Amino acid sequence: MELPLNTNAPAVMHIDLNSCFATAEQQANPLLRGKPIAVAAYTTDNGCILSPSIEAKKYGIKTGMRVREARLLYRKIIILPPDPPKYRDIHLKFCIIFRDYSSNVFPKSIDEAVIDFSDTPALKNKLTNIAREIKSRIKKEIGEWIVCSIGISINRFLAKLGSSLHKPDGLDVITYKNLEDIYKKVSLVDLYGINTRYQARLNAFGIFTPLDFLHAERDVLIHQVFRSIVGHYWYLRLRGWEIDNVEFERKSFGQQYALGKWTSDSKTLSQLLMKLTEKMGRRLRRAGFSARGIHVAVTYSDWSYFHHGETFSQEMFTTSELFKKVMFIFNKQTDRKIVCKLEVSCFHFVPKQYIPLTLFETDKERQWKATEAADEINDRFGEFVITPALMLDTKDFVPDRIAFGNVKELRNLMN
Amino acid sequence: MSEIINEKVSVITVYDSEKGVVIPKKIKWQNRIYTIDKIGYHHTLKEGRKLIHIFSVANASIALKLRFDSETLHWTLEEISDGIAS
Repeated sequence: MELPLNTNAPAVMHIDLNSCFATAEQQANPLLRGKPIAVAAYTTDNGCILSPSIEAKKYGIKTGMRVREARLLYRKIIILPPDPPKYRDIHLKFCIIFRDYSSNVFPKSIDEAVIDFSDTPALKNKLTNIAREIKSRIKKEIGEWIVCSIGISINRFLAKLGSSLHKPDGLDVITYKNLEDIYKKVSLVDLYGINTRYQARLNAFGIFTPLDFLHAERDVLIHQVFRSIVGHYWYLRLRGWEIDNVEFERKSFGQQYALGKWTSDSKTLSQLLMKLTEKMGRRLRRAGFSARGIHVAVTYSDWSYFHHGETFSQEMFTTSELFKKVMFIFNKQTDRKIVCKLEVSCFHFVPKQYIPLTLFETDKERQWKATEAADEINDRFGEFVITPALMLDTKDFVPDRIAFGNVKELRNLMN
Repeated sequence: MSEIINEKVSVITVYDSEKGVVIPKKIKWQNRIYTIDKIGYHHTLKEGRKLIHIFSVANASIALKLRFDSETLHWTLEEISDGIAS
């Protein structure tokens, strides 16, 4: 028997700040307002565009382009480096606004959040009125140039789709009444979670549009298209049933760095790996864990790559312990080519309080205490006040950046 | 075009008790007085436990990024911009 569409009233809101980084820069600098600008990881020709302004998007400039390509589309584009403290501040301010309406606020990234109004007093008001009020408060309390698109629906997937329908400054509601009309207007890759590869897979089974996807049989999705329970999740999701209200625990801490100057010099690479490891280690220790697993990924200038991860019997806590294993894995590369990107991550967490103590303090325990003392100094006086010696001369490397995706660690600043 | 400056400056500010905000009004830099018409954005950041205030301000022809160190009470002009492509 086919599952019907979810006919409940909408209770989920998805808010997406439009062109977040670029709009933030235009908010801060009024002389940039109304002009095509873009925030790029680096302002040189090879720098990657992170956020084009609404005006820049009209020239076809997109996230992921190189600065060189953006300049070909619009010669006078203004390119700016990122300013992460500003964007984090904006993120925290909008979360504070959202929490006035519901305690169920789920930041999805630096510029997106979901508010679940289920079982909240706010649901007595029309959610569209609340959405307009949120837009007005963002302008008043954060900045008059900041705009957002809001989607309201019966599940998170459709609320996110709603927020993408009109940009900038959109407000769209999707219910069971207009669901099929909406699916007629969008393509498969407009659905969050469907990329070009999934689209090809769907096409291979005669599914070319979201409407085809909605009308596909559940068994076909499970046993043929996705060959897993994922097919069942899509069957539910497309009909407005909630399947995505799961918050996953953190399973790894990682740091990555796209090198400004590509190199195969082992001294430079080990310095960069040390800085990445120190940053990763600080986050691991701040969360109260040690780790038993390390993963290293290296991308070369010819776009080939090396990656390898291992779980070790001993917990790692200090930067020195983590770095030894990072280098152990890094040195397993068979080729030493020119490197353009480095990534380190740690996994298999052990909560620090469960590590067995010994009767007499060992070298390991002394090292761990020294690391905690160094962390306290860095907490008090600023990052990298005390660093491993290998990190001398790395001040300009691995700058502060906003990660794509979840911003779980920022939530601690709100509480 | 924007330029990194990082020089100490003198600043006249006004505190509005009704709105609870500090508003930089005039800046003296290299013996010139810049009158501020607008605050674009104000945010804070932490360097260790030290609280730093960043004021992005502008008038019709120049935008300035000011840094206020709440520990030393010093003002620094971090960056200026004319809003034009380089």
